Amino acid sequence: MRRLIVIASALLLLTLLGIAWLESRHVIPVALTPSLTGQVEYCLSCHGDLPEIGKSHPVKSFGCVLCHGGERLALEANLAHNSMRGGKNPADFSVVQASCGGTICHSGSTEGYRDHIQRATTSIQATYAGAIASIRYTFGEQPDLTAHLGTTAIQDSQSTSGITSLEVFNPLLETNPAVLAFGQTCLTCHLFAQPGQTGGRYDHFTGCTACHTPTQSSDLTSIDTKTATQVHKLTTAISYAQCDTCHNRGNYDLRAITFQPRQDTPTDRLHDYYQPIAQFTKCEYTLDCIDCHTRTEAMGDGNLYSNKKQIQYIQCKTCHGTLTGLPQTLTITDPNHIAFRQSLLNPVIELKPGDNVLVTEKGEPLWNTRLQPDGTYELVGKATGQVFPFKPVMGSGCTQDPDDQSSGSCHKCHSVER
Amino acid sequence: MNEPKLSRRDFLKLTRTLLLTASGLLGLGGLIRFLSYPSQPLAPTEFDLGPASNYAPGSRTVLPDVPALLVHGETGFTALSLVCTHLGCTVESQPDGFACPCHGSRFDLLGKVKRAPASKTLVSRRVEIGPDGKLHLFTN
Repeated sequence: MRRLIVIASALLLLTLLGIAWLESRHVIPVALTPSLTGQVEYCLSCHGDLPEIGKSHPVKSFGCVLCHGGERLALEANLAHNSMRGGKNPADFSVVQASCGGTICHSGSTEGYRDHIQRATTSIQATYAGAIASIRYTFGEQPDLTAHLGTTAIQDSQSTSGITSLEVFNPLLETNPAVLAFGQTCLTCHLFAQPGQTGGRYDHFTGCTACHTPTQSSDLTSIDTKTATQVHKLTTAISYAQCDTCHNRGNYDLRAITFQPRQDTPTDRLHDYYQPIAQFTKCEYTLDCIDCHTRTEAMGDGNLYSNKKQIQYIQCKTCHGTLTGLPQTLTITDPNHIAFRQSLLNPVIELKPGDNVLVTEKGEPLWNTRLQPDGTYELVGKATGQVFPFKPVMGSGCTQDPDDQSSGSCHKCHSVER
Repeated sequence: MNEPKLSRRDFLKLTRTLLLTASGLLGLGGLIRFLSYPSQPLAPTEFDLGPASNYAPGSRTVLPDVPALLVHGETGFTALSLVCTHLGCTVESQPDGFACPCHGSRFDLLGKVKRAPASKTLVSRRVEIGPDGKLHLFTN
Protein backbone atom coordinates (compact mmCIF):
# COMPACT_ATOMS: atom_id res chain seq x y z
CA MET A 1 0.00 0.00 0.00
CA ARG A 2 2.78 2.41 0.96
CA ARG A 3 4.57 1.61 -2.24
CA LEU A 4 1.43 2.44 -4.23
CA ILE A 5 1.11 5.78 -2.49
CA VAL A 6 4.73 6.61 -3.34
CA ILE A 7 4.18 5.64 -6.99
CA ALA A 8 1.00 7.72 -7.11
CA SER A 9 2.85 10.66 -5.58
CA ALA A 10 5.61 10.32 -8.16
CA LEU A 11 3.06 10.24 -10.97
CA LEU A 12 1.34 13.32 -9.57
CA LEU A 13 4.63 15.20 -9.44
CA LEU A 14 5.52 14.14 -12.99
CA THR A 15 2.13 15.26 -14.24
CA LEU A 16 2.50 18.64 -12.55
CA LEU A 17 6.03 19.02 -13.94
CA GLY A 18 4.69 18.21 -17.41
CA ILE A 19 1.98 20.82 -17.09
CA ALA A 20 4.51 23.39 -15.87
CA TRP A 21 6.78 22.60 -18.84
CA LEU A 22 3.93 22.94 -21.32
CA GLU A 23 2.88 26.18 -19.66
CA SER A 24 6.42 27.54 -19.89
CA ARG A 25 6.37 27.01 -23.65
CA HIS A 26 3.39 29.33 -24.11
CA VAL A 27 4.13 32.65 -25.71
CA ILE A 28 3.80 35.81 -23.69
CA PRO A 29 0.52 37.40 -24.79
CA VAL A 30 0.81 40.71 -26.60
CA ALA A 31 -2.59 42.33 -26.86
CA LEU A 32 -3.68 44.71 -29.58
CA THR A 33 -7.07 46.38 -29.84
CA PRO A 34 -7.35 47.85 -33.35
CA SER A 35 -9.31 51.09 -33.50
CA LEU A 36 -11.39 49.78 -36.39
CA THR A 37 -12.67 46.63 -34.68
CA GLY A 38 -12.35 47.46 -30.98
CA GLN A 39 -11.76 43.75 -30.29
CA VAL A 40 -8.58 42.57 -28.64
CA GLU A 41 -6.42 40.17 -30.62
CA TYR A 42 -3.19 38.39 -29.74
CA CYS A 43 -1.60 37.84 -33.15
CA LEU A 44 1.33 40.11 -32.33
CA SER A 45 2.39 37.72 -29.57
CA CYS A 46 4.13 35.75 -32.31
CA HIS A 47 4.05 38.12 -35.29
CA GLY A 48 5.30 41.31 -33.68
CA ASP A 49 8.38 41.27 -35.90
CA LEU A 50 6.41 41.58 -39.14
CA PRO A 51 6.80 44.94 -40.87
CA GLU A 52 3.75 47.14 -41.38
CA ILE A 53 2.00 46.00 -44.55
CA GLY A 54 1.69 49.56 -45.76
CA LYS A 55 0.59 52.96 -44.61
CA SER A 56 -2.99 52.45 -45.81
CA HIS A 57 -3.51 49.46 -43.54
CA PRO A 58 -1.68 50.25 -40.28
CA VAL A 59 -1.89 47.42 -37.77
CA LYS A 60 -2.87 49.84 -35.01
CA SER A 61 -6.08 50.63 -36.92
CA PHE A 62 -6.78 47.39 -38.79
CA GLY A 63 -5.17 44.73 -36.65
CA CYS A 64 -4.58 41.36 -38.32
CA VAL A 65 -7.85 39.45 -38.05
CA LEU A 66 -9.94 41.90 -40.05
CA CYS A 67 -8.06 40.96 -43.22
CA HIS A 68 -6.52 37.57 -42.41
CA GLY A 69 -9.23 35.96 -40.31
CA GLY A 70 -8.04 33.47 -37.70
CA GLU A 71 -8.85 33.05 -34.03
CA ARG A 72 -8.01 36.38 -32.47
CA LEU A 73 -7.75 35.12 -28.87
CA ALA A 74 -5.74 31.97 -29.51
CA LEU A 75 -2.10 31.71 -28.49
CA GLU A 76 -1.46 28.29 -29.94
CA ALA A 77 -0.39 28.41 -33.59
CA ASN A 78 -2.63 25.71 -35.05
CA LEU A 79 -5.69 27.02 -33.28
CA ALA A 80 -4.92 30.65 -34.10
CA HIS A 81 -4.40 29.86 -37.80
CA ASN A 82 -7.27 27.43 -38.06
CA SER A 83 -9.80 29.81 -39.55
CA MET A 84 -7.48 32.06 -41.52
CA ARG A 85 -8.74 33.07 -44.93
CA GLY A 86 -6.63 32.05 -47.92
CA GLY A 87 -3.69 30.79 -45.86
CA LYS A 88 -0.95 33.37 -46.21
CA ASN A 89 -2.91 35.22 -48.87
CA PRO A 90 -6.25 36.65 -47.79
CA ALA A 91 -6.50 38.45 -51.14
CA ASP A 92 -6.88 35.22 -53.10
CA PHE A 93 -10.02 35.67 -55.18
CA SER A 94 -11.73 32.73 -53.45
CA VAL A 95 -11.81 34.70 -50.19
CA VAL A 96 -11.17 38.28 -51.26
CA GLN A 97 -14.72 39.47 -50.66
CA ALA A 98 -14.55 38.45 -47.00
CA SER A 99 -11.00 39.72 -46.54
CA CYS A 100 -10.88 42.95 -48.52
CA GLY A 101 -14.53 43.67 -49.33
CA GLY A 102 -17.06 45.95 -47.72
CA THR A 103 -18.48 49.25 -48.84
CA ILE A 104 -15.91 51.31 -46.98
CA CYS A 105 -13.10 49.07 -48.20
CA HIS A 106 -12.59 47.55 -51.63
CA SER A 107 -16.18 46.78 -52.60
CA GLY A 108 -17.03 50.44 -52.68
CA SER A 109 -19.28 52.28 -55.04
CA THR A 110 -18.97 51.67 -58.78
CA GLU A 111 -18.70 55.43 -59.06
CA GLY A 112 -15.13 56.34 -59.81
CA TYR A 113 -14.19 52.68 -60.25
CA ARG A 114 -14.08 52.19 -56.48
CA ASP A 115 -15.47 48.65 -56.59
CA HIS A 116 -12.03 47.14 -56.93
CA ILE A 117 -13.01 43.53 -56.26
CA GLN A 118 -15.79 43.51 -58.84
CA ARG A 119 -13.46 45.10 -61.38
CA ALA A 120 -10.53 42.82 -60.72
CA THR A 121 -12.54 39.60 -60.73
CA THR A 122 -14.26 40.46 -64.03
CA SER A 123 -11.09 41.80 -65.65
CA ILE A 124 -9.53 40.07 -68.59
CA GLN A 125 -6.55 39.16 -66.36
CA ALA A 126 -8.88 37.17 -64.14
CA THR A 127 -11.29 35.67 -66.65
CA TYR A 128 -8.63 34.85 -69.26
CA ALA A 129 -11.59 35.04 -71.61
CA GLY A 130 -9.57 36.48 -74.48
CA ALA A 131 -7.06 33.64 -74.63
CA ILE A 132 -9.77 31.01 -74.24
CA ALA A 133 -11.90 32.53 -76.99
CA SER A 134 -8.92 32.96 -79.27
CA ILE A 135 -7.76 29.36 -78.93
CA ARG A 136 -11.26 27.93 -79.34
CA TYR A 137 -11.86 30.09 -82.40
CA THR A 138 -8.48 29.17 -83.91
CA PHE A 139 -9.25 25.48 -83.64
CA GLY A 140 -12.82 25.79 -84.88
CA GLU A 141 -14.59 25.31 -81.58
CA GLN A 142 -16.49 28.57 -81.76
CA PRO A 143 -17.59 30.69 -84.73
CA ASP A 144 -16.10 34.03 -83.70
CA LEU A 145 -13.78 35.68 -81.19
CA THR A 146 -16.51 36.73 -78.79
CA ALA A 147 -15.84 35.40 -75.30
CA HIS A 148 -18.34 32.90 -73.94
CA LEU A 149 -16.13 31.08 -71.45
CA GLY A 150 -13.86 32.18 -68.62
CA THR A 151 -11.81 30.70 -65.83
CA THR A 152 -14.87 30.95 -63.57
CA ALA A 153 -18.55 31.37 -64.27
CA ILE A 154 -19.48 35.04 -63.97
CA GLN A 155 -22.76 36.91 -64.25
CA ASP A 156 -22.62 40.67 -64.68
CA SER A 157 -25.94 42.16 -65.72
CA GLN A 158 -24.46 45.66 -65.45
CA SER A 159 -21.77 44.96 -68.04
CA THR A 160 -22.04 47.43 -70.90
CA SER A 161 -19.66 45.63 -73.22
CA GLY A 162 -22.31 43.35 -74.73
CA ILE A 163 -21.11 40.38 -72.66
CA THR A 164 -23.11 39.88 -69.49
CA SER A 165 -21.97 36.41 -68.49
CA LEU A 166 -19.25 33.84 -68.97
CA GLU A 167 -19.63 30.11 -68.49
CA VAL A 168 -16.76 28.27 -66.90
CA PHE A 169 -14.19 26.84 -69.31
CA ASN A 170 -13.84 23.13 -68.61
CA PRO A 171 -11.04 21.61 -70.70
CA LEU A 172 -12.36 18.11 -70.11
CA LEU A 173 -15.48 18.96 -72.10
CA GLU A 174 -13.40 19.99 -75.12
CA THR A 175 -13.12 17.51 -77.96
CA ASN A 176 -10.38 19.22 -79.93
CA PRO A 177 -7.00 17.91 -78.69
CA ALA A 178 -5.35 21.33 -79.09
CA VAL A 179 -7.98 23.07 -76.99
CA LEU A 180 -7.79 20.26 -74.45
CA ALA A 181 -4.00 20.68 -74.30
CA PHE A 182 -4.40 24.42 -73.91
CA GLY A 183 -6.75 23.88 -71.01
CA GLN A 184 -4.39 21.47 -69.34
CA THR A 185 -1.17 23.42 -69.75
CA CYS A 186 -1.94 27.08 -70.27
CA LEU A 187 -4.30 28.05 -67.48
CA THR A 188 -1.83 28.86 -64.77
CA CYS A 189 -1.39 32.57 -65.21
CA HIS A 190 -4.76 34.15 -64.64
CA LEU A 191 -5.42 35.82 -61.32
CA PHE A 192 -7.50 32.95 -59.96
CA ALA A 193 -4.83 30.32 -60.58
CA GLN A 194 -1.85 29.17 -58.62
CA PRO A 195 1.30 29.84 -60.70
CA GLY A 196 2.42 26.88 -62.77
CA GLN A 197 6.07 27.80 -62.37
CA THR A 198 7.28 28.26 -58.86
CA GLY A 199 10.51 29.53 -57.48
CA GLY A 200 12.70 32.44 -58.41
CA ARG A 201 11.73 35.20 -60.74
CA TYR A 202 8.23 34.07 -61.69
CA ASP A 203 6.87 33.63 -58.19
CA HIS A 204 3.76 35.60 -57.46
CA PHE A 205 0.64 35.31 -55.38
CA THR A 206 -2.93 35.00 -56.62
CA GLY A 207 -5.74 37.55 -56.62
CA CYS A 208 -4.98 41.14 -55.66
CA THR A 209 -1.56 40.29 -54.30
CA ALA A 210 -0.38 38.89 -57.64
CA CYS A 211 0.34 42.52 -58.46
CA HIS A 212 0.13 44.46 -55.21
CA THR A 213 2.51 42.32 -53.15
CA PRO A 214 5.96 42.50 -54.67
CA THR A 215 7.67 39.14 -54.90
CA GLN A 216 10.16 40.41 -57.44
CA SER A 217 12.60 43.28 -57.59
CA SER A 218 13.77 45.14 -60.68
CA ASP A 219 17.30 45.10 -59.31
CA LEU A 220 19.23 43.19 -61.96
CA THR A 221 22.70 43.56 -60.51
CA SER A 222 22.42 39.94 -59.56
CA ILE A 223 19.75 37.56 -60.70
CA ASP A 224 19.51 36.25 -57.14
CA THR A 225 18.37 39.63 -55.91
CA LYS A 226 15.32 39.46 -58.16
CA THR A 227 13.54 37.57 -55.47
CA ALA A 228 12.42 39.99 -52.81
CA THR A 229 11.92 38.66 -49.33
CA GLN A 230 9.46 41.08 -47.80
CA VAL A 231 6.07 39.83 -48.87
CA HIS A 232 4.07 41.36 -46.02
CA LYS A 233 3.54 44.44 -48.13
CA LEU A 234 0.81 46.02 -50.21
CA THR A 235 1.79 48.68 -52.68
CA THR A 236 0.62 50.54 -55.76
CA ALA A 237 4.25 51.15 -56.75
CA ILE A 238 4.44 48.04 -58.90
CA SER A 239 7.66 47.36 -60.73
CA TYR A 240 7.73 45.92 -64.25
CA ALA A 241 9.46 42.91 -62.70
CA GLN A 242 6.21 42.02 -60.93
CA CYS A 243 4.29 42.22 -64.23
CA ASP A 244 6.98 40.00 -65.70
CA THR A 245 6.01 37.14 -63.40
CA CYS A 246 3.12 36.52 -65.79
CA HIS A 247 3.80 38.57 -68.87
CA ASN A 248 7.40 37.74 -69.55
CA ARG A 249 7.97 34.15 -68.54
CA GLY A 250 8.48 32.90 -72.05
CA ASN A 251 6.44 32.21 -75.16
CA TYR A 252 3.62 29.94 -76.17
CA ASP A 253 4.24 27.51 -79.00
CA LEU A 254 0.82 27.51 -80.62
CA ARG A 255 1.63 24.61 -82.92
CA ALA A 256 2.50 22.29 -80.07
CA ILE A 257 0.29 24.09 -77.50
CA THR A 258 3.13 24.19 -75.06
CA PHE A 259 4.77 26.90 -73.07
CA GLN A 260 8.45 27.57 -73.65
CA PRO A 261 9.98 29.22 -70.57
CA ARG A 262 12.67 31.82 -71.00
CA GLN A 263 16.14 30.39 -71.07
CA ASP A 264 18.11 33.62 -71.13
CA THR A 265 19.45 35.44 -68.09
CA PRO A 266 19.10 39.15 -68.73
CA THR A 267 21.48 41.45 -66.92
CA ASP A 268 20.10 44.79 -68.04
CA ARG A 269 16.67 46.28 -68.23
CA LEU A 270 16.51 46.44 -72.02
CA HIS A 271 16.97 42.70 -72.30
CA ASP A 272 14.83 41.89 -69.30
CA TYR A 273 11.86 43.80 -70.57
CA TYR A 274 8.98 42.06 -72.31
CA GLN A 275 10.91 39.41 -74.10
CA PRO A 276 8.52 38.66 -76.99
CA ILE A 277 9.15 42.11 -78.48
CA ALA A 278 12.42 42.66 -80.27
CA GLN A 279 12.23 46.42 -80.70
CA PHE A 280 11.49 49.05 -78.11
CA THR A 281 11.05 52.75 -77.99
CA LYS A 282 13.04 54.12 -75.12
CA CYS A 283 10.03 54.75 -72.93
CA GLU A 284 8.85 51.18 -73.39
CA TYR A 285 11.75 49.82 -71.39
CA THR A 286 12.86 52.70 -69.21
CA LEU A 287 9.42 53.23 -67.72
CA ASP A 288 7.50 50.67 -65.72
CA CYS A 289 4.33 49.17 -67.19
CA ILE A 290 2.07 51.07 -64.79
CA ASP A 291 3.63 54.41 -65.71
CA CYS A 292 1.55 54.34 -68.90
CA HIS A 293 -1.11 51.67 -68.43
CA THR A 294 -3.94 52.87 -66.26
CA ARG A 295 -5.79 51.24 -63.43
CA THR A 296 -8.78 50.34 -65.62
CA GLU A 297 -6.51 48.77 -68.22
CA ALA A 298 -4.85 46.64 -65.57
CA MET A 299 -7.74 45.95 -63.21
CA GLY A 300 -10.65 46.31 -65.59
CA ASP A 301 -13.49 48.79 -65.61
CA GLY A 302 -16.16 46.45 -64.28
CA ASN A 303 -17.27 45.10 -67.66
CA LEU A 304 -16.62 41.70 -69.18
CA TYR A 305 -14.54 41.76 -72.35
CA SER A 306 -13.54 39.37 -75.09
CA ASN A 307 -9.91 40.36 -75.30
CA LYS A 308 -7.37 42.76 -73.87
CA LYS A 309 -7.51 45.13 -76.83
CA GLN A 310 -11.02 46.07 -75.79
CA ILE A 311 -9.78 47.41 -72.47
CA GLN A 312 -6.18 48.34 -73.21
CA TYR A 313 -6.26 51.67 -75.00
CA ILE A 314 -3.25 53.80 -74.10
CA GLN A 315 -1.30 54.84 -77.15
CA CYS A 316 1.79 56.93 -77.75
CA LYS A 317 -0.35 59.97 -78.53
CA THR A 318 -1.99 59.81 -75.10
CA CYS A 319 1.15 61.40 -73.71
CA HIS A 320 2.83 62.81 -76.79
CA GLY A 321 -0.15 64.08 -78.80
CA THR A 322 -0.05 64.29 -82.57
CA LEU A 323 1.36 66.64 -85.16
CA THR A 324 -1.84 68.64 -85.02
CA GLY A 325 -2.91 68.30 -81.42
CA LEU A 326 -1.39 68.41 -77.98
CA PRO A 327 -2.16 65.64 -75.52
CA GLN A 328 -5.21 66.22 -73.37
CA THR A 329 -4.62 67.77 -69.99
CA LEU A 330 -6.82 68.41 -66.99
CA THR A 331 -6.49 71.10 -64.36
CA ILE A 332 -7.19 69.49 -61.02
CA THR A 333 -9.12 71.84 -58.78
CA ASP A 334 -11.51 69.54 -56.92
CA PRO A 335 -9.75 68.47 -53.69
CA ASN A 336 -11.66 65.19 -53.87
CA HIS A 337 -10.34 64.34 -57.33
CA ILE A 338 -9.13 60.76 -57.55
CA ALA A 339 -5.72 61.95 -58.77
CA PHE A 340 -4.96 63.35 -55.32
CA ARG A 341 -5.77 60.06 -53.64
CA GLN A 342 -3.74 58.09 -56.14
CA SER A 343 -0.75 60.35 -55.62
CA LEU A 344 -1.12 60.05 -51.86
CA LEU A 345 -1.14 56.26 -51.98
CA ASN A 346 2.09 56.34 -53.95
CA PRO A 347 3.67 59.68 -53.12
CA VAL A 348 6.20 59.93 -55.93
CA ILE A 349 4.70 63.28 -56.91
CA GLU A 350 3.11 65.98 -54.78
CA LEU A 351 0.09 67.20 -56.70
CA LYS A 352 -1.41 70.54 -55.78
CA PRO A 353 -4.77 72.04 -56.70
CA GLY A 354 -4.32 73.86 -59.99
CA ASP A 355 -1.79 71.37 -61.37
CA ASN A 356 -2.29 70.27 -64.97
CA VAL A 357 -1.95 66.55 -65.48
CA LEU A 358 -2.29 64.54 -68.66
CA VAL A 359 -5.60 62.78 -69.09
CA THR A 360 -6.40 59.80 -71.29
CA GLU A 361 -8.93 59.57 -74.08
CA LYS A 362 -11.32 57.97 -71.56
CA GLY A 363 -10.79 60.71 -69.01
CA GLU A 364 -8.49 58.84 -66.65
CA PRO A 365 -5.92 61.17 -65.08
CA LEU A 366 -2.29 60.20 -65.56
CA TRP A 367 -1.62 61.50 -62.06
CA ASN A 368 2.11 60.88 -62.27
CA THR A 369 2.49 63.44 -65.08
CA ARG A 370 2.45 67.22 -65.02
CA LEU A 371 2.43 69.98 -67.62
CA GLN A 372 5.39 72.28 -67.09
CA PRO A 373 5.28 76.09 -67.47
CA ASP A 374 7.44 75.90 -70.60
CA GLY A 375 4.95 73.64 -72.38
CA THR A 376 6.90 70.44 -71.87
CA TYR A 377 5.78 67.60 -69.62
CA GLU A 378 7.26 65.44 -66.92
CA LEU A 379 6.40 61.94 -65.88
CA VAL A 380 7.48 60.52 -62.53
CA GLY A 381 8.06 56.78 -62.44
CA LYS A 382 5.51 55.20 -60.10
CA ALA A 383 7.89 52.44 -59.06
CA THR A 384 11.17 54.33 -59.29
CA GLY A 385 10.37 57.98 -58.53
CA GLN A 386 12.61 58.86 -61.47
CA VAL A 387 11.61 62.02 -63.34
CA PHE A 388 11.30 61.77 -67.12
CA PRO A 389 10.89 65.08 -69.01
CA PHE A 390 9.32 64.81 -72.45
CA LYS A 391 7.99 66.98 -75.26
CA PRO A 392 4.87 66.87 -77.42
CA VAL A 393 5.04 65.72 -81.02
CA MET A 394 3.47 68.95 -82.22
CA GLY A 395 6.17 71.31 -83.35
CA SER A 396 8.75 68.55 -83.67
CA GLY A 397 10.13 67.02 -86.83
CA CYS A 398 8.16 63.82 -86.32
CA THR A 399 6.53 62.43 -89.45
CA GLN A 400 4.03 60.22 -87.71
CA ASP A 401 0.78 59.00 -89.14
CA PRO A 402 -1.71 60.39 -86.63
CA ASP A 403 -4.08 57.51 -87.38
CA ASP A 404 -1.49 54.85 -86.63
CA GLN A 405 -0.33 55.01 -83.05
CA SER A 406 0.69 51.39 -82.82
CA SER A 407 4.06 50.67 -81.31
CA GLY A 408 5.12 49.24 -84.67
CA SER A 409 4.58 52.58 -86.35
CA CYS A 410 6.60 54.47 -83.76
CA HIS A 411 9.32 51.82 -83.81
CA LYS A 412 10.04 52.71 -87.43
CA CYS A 413 11.97 55.75 -86.21
CA HIS A 414 12.33 55.35 -82.45
CA SER A 415 13.30 51.74 -82.00
CA VAL A 416 16.12 50.47 -79.86
CA GLU A 417 17.33 47.14 -81.18
CA ARG A 418 18.54 44.43 -78.91
CA MET B 1 29.62 2.53 16.15
CA ASN B 2 26.73 1.38 14.02
CA GLU B 3 24.93 4.00 11.97
CA PRO B 4 21.14 3.76 12.38
CA LYS B 5 19.75 2.11 9.27
CA LEU B 6 16.88 3.74 7.38
CA SER B 7 14.13 1.21 7.40
CA ARG B 8 12.24 0.47 4.19
CA ARG B 9 9.11 1.89 5.77
CA ASP B 10 10.89 5.12 6.71
CA PHE B 11 12.41 5.40 3.25
CA LEU B 12 8.99 5.09 1.58
CA LYS B 13 7.53 7.56 4.02
CA LEU B 14 10.30 10.06 3.38
CA THR B 15 9.99 9.65 -0.40
CA ARG B 16 6.22 10.06 -0.26
CA THR B 17 6.56 13.19 1.87
CA LEU B 18 9.10 14.72 -0.50
CA LEU B 19 7.04 13.94 -3.59
CA LEU B 20 3.81 15.27 -2.09
CA THR B 21 5.55 18.38 -0.78
CA ALA B 22 7.05 19.08 -4.22
CA SER B 23 3.68 18.47 -5.86
CA GLY B 24 1.98 20.74 -3.36
CA LEU B 25 4.49 23.53 -3.91
CA LEU B 26 4.23 23.17 -7.67
CA GLY B 27 0.42 23.22 -7.53
CA LEU B 28 0.46 26.17 -5.17
CA GLY B 29 2.82 28.03 -7.49
CA GLY B 30 0.51 27.38 -10.42
CA LEU B 31 -2.49 28.53 -8.42
CA ILE B 32 -0.74 31.73 -7.37
CA ARG B 33 0.33 32.35 -10.97
CA PHE B 34 -3.21 31.76 -12.18
CA LEU B 35 -4.76 34.05 -9.58
CA SER B 36 -2.22 36.80 -10.14
CA TYR B 37 -2.60 36.70 -13.93
CA PRO B 38 -3.44 40.24 -15.06
CA SER B 39 -6.69 40.44 -16.97
CA GLN B 40 -6.81 42.55 -20.08
CA PRO B 41 -7.49 46.08 -18.86
CA LEU B 42 -10.32 47.92 -20.51
CA ALA B 43 -9.35 50.81 -22.70
CA PRO B 44 -9.27 53.93 -20.51
CA THR B 45 -12.05 56.42 -21.04
CA GLU B 46 -10.65 59.10 -18.76
CA PHE B 47 -7.22 60.69 -19.03
CA ASP B 48 -5.53 62.83 -16.37
CA LEU B 49 -3.75 65.57 -18.29
CA GLY B 50 -2.08 67.20 -15.31
CA PRO B 51 -2.41 70.81 -14.14
CA ALA B 52 -4.39 73.06 -16.47
CA SER B 53 -1.71 75.68 -15.98
CA ASN B 54 0.65 73.49 -18.01
CA TYR B 55 -1.27 74.44 -21.15
CA ALA B 56 -0.78 78.09 -22.10
CA PRO B 57 -3.65 80.09 -23.62
CA GLY B 58 -3.62 79.66 -27.38
CA SER B 59 -1.76 76.35 -27.20
CA ARG B 60 -2.63 73.28 -29.25
CA THR B 61 -1.23 70.13 -27.69
CA VAL B 62 -1.23 66.71 -29.31
CA LEU B 63 -1.99 63.94 -26.81
CA PRO B 64 -0.68 60.81 -28.54
CA ASP B 65 -1.90 58.40 -25.87
CA VAL B 66 -5.56 59.36 -26.33
CA PRO B 67 -5.09 60.30 -29.26
CA ALA B 68 -6.52 63.81 -29.27
CA LEU B 69 -5.64 67.45 -29.71
CA LEU B 70 -6.11 69.68 -26.67
CA VAL B 71 -6.85 73.30 -27.56
CA HIS B 72 -6.67 76.11 -25.02
CA GLY B 73 -8.82 78.68 -26.77
CA GLU B 74 -10.51 81.92 -25.76
CA THR B 75 -13.50 80.05 -24.35
CA GLY B 76 -11.46 77.54 -22.42
CA PHE B 77 -10.29 74.01 -23.11
CA THR B 78 -11.65 71.86 -25.93
CA ALA B 79 -10.37 68.62 -27.39
CA LEU B 80 -10.71 66.91 -30.72
CA SER B 81 -10.22 63.20 -31.34
CA LEU B 82 -7.37 62.46 -33.72
CA VAL B 83 -8.95 59.20 -34.87
CA CYS B 84 -9.91 59.49 -38.53
CA THR B 85 -13.63 58.98 -39.05
CA HIS B 86 -12.94 56.99 -42.22
CA LEU B 87 -11.04 53.90 -41.07
CA GLY B 88 -9.66 54.74 -37.66
CA CYS B 89 -6.12 55.83 -38.46
CA THR B 90 -4.53 58.55 -36.36
CA VAL B 91 -4.61 61.87 -38.20
CA GLU B 92 -1.67 64.25 -38.10
CA SER B 93 -2.02 67.83 -36.89
CA GLN B 94 -0.98 70.39 -39.47
CA PRO B 95 -1.02 74.21 -39.42
CA ASP B 96 -4.24 74.36 -41.45
CA GLY B 97 -6.00 71.32 -39.99
CA PHE B 98 -5.48 67.59 -39.92
CA ALA B 99 -4.30 65.04 -42.49
CA CYS B 100 -4.85 61.30 -42.45
CA PRO B 101 -1.70 59.48 -43.56
CA CYS B 102 -3.60 56.32 -44.49
CA HIS B 103 -6.06 57.35 -47.19
CA GLY B 104 -5.57 61.08 -47.57
CA SER B 105 -8.59 62.55 -45.80
CA ARG B 106 -8.16 66.18 -44.80
CA PHE B 107 -9.93 68.09 -42.01
CA ASP B 108 -9.92 71.80 -41.16
CA LEU B 109 -8.92 73.20 -37.79
CA LEU B 110 -12.39 72.51 -36.42
CA GLY B 111 -12.28 68.92 -37.63
CA LYS B 112 -14.67 69.37 -40.54
CA VAL B 113 -13.97 67.29 -43.65
CA LYS B 114 -12.11 69.11 -46.39
CA ARG B 115 -11.26 66.08 -48.52
CA ALA B 116 -12.72 62.56 -48.81
CA PRO B 117 -12.71 59.64 -48.25
CA ALA B 118 -13.74 60.61 -44.69
CA SER B 119 -17.26 61.97 -44.59
CA LYS B 120 -17.74 62.75 -40.90
CA THR B 121 -16.30 65.49 -38.71
CA LEU B 122 -13.62 64.56 -36.17
CA VAL B 123 -15.23 63.77 -32.82
CA SER B 124 -15.06 66.32 -29.98
CA ARG B 125 -13.89 65.10 -26.58
CA ARG B 126 -15.13 66.39 -23.24
CA VAL B 127 -12.54 68.20 -21.11
CA GLU B 128 -13.10 69.21 -17.48
CA ILE B 129 -11.00 70.93 -14.83
CA GLY B 130 -11.16 69.09 -11.54
CA PRO B 131 -11.21 70.67 -8.05
CA ASP B 132 -7.49 69.99 -7.88
CA GLY B 133 -6.89 72.16 -10.93
CA LYS B 134 -6.09 69.16 -13.10
CA LEU B 135 -7.47 68.66 -16.58
CA HIS B 136 -9.42 65.49 -17.31
CA LEU B 137 -10.28 64.33 -20.80
CA PHE B 138 -13.12 61.86 -21.40
CA THR B 139 -13.48 59.65 -24.44
CA ASN B 140 -16.86 58.12 -23.64
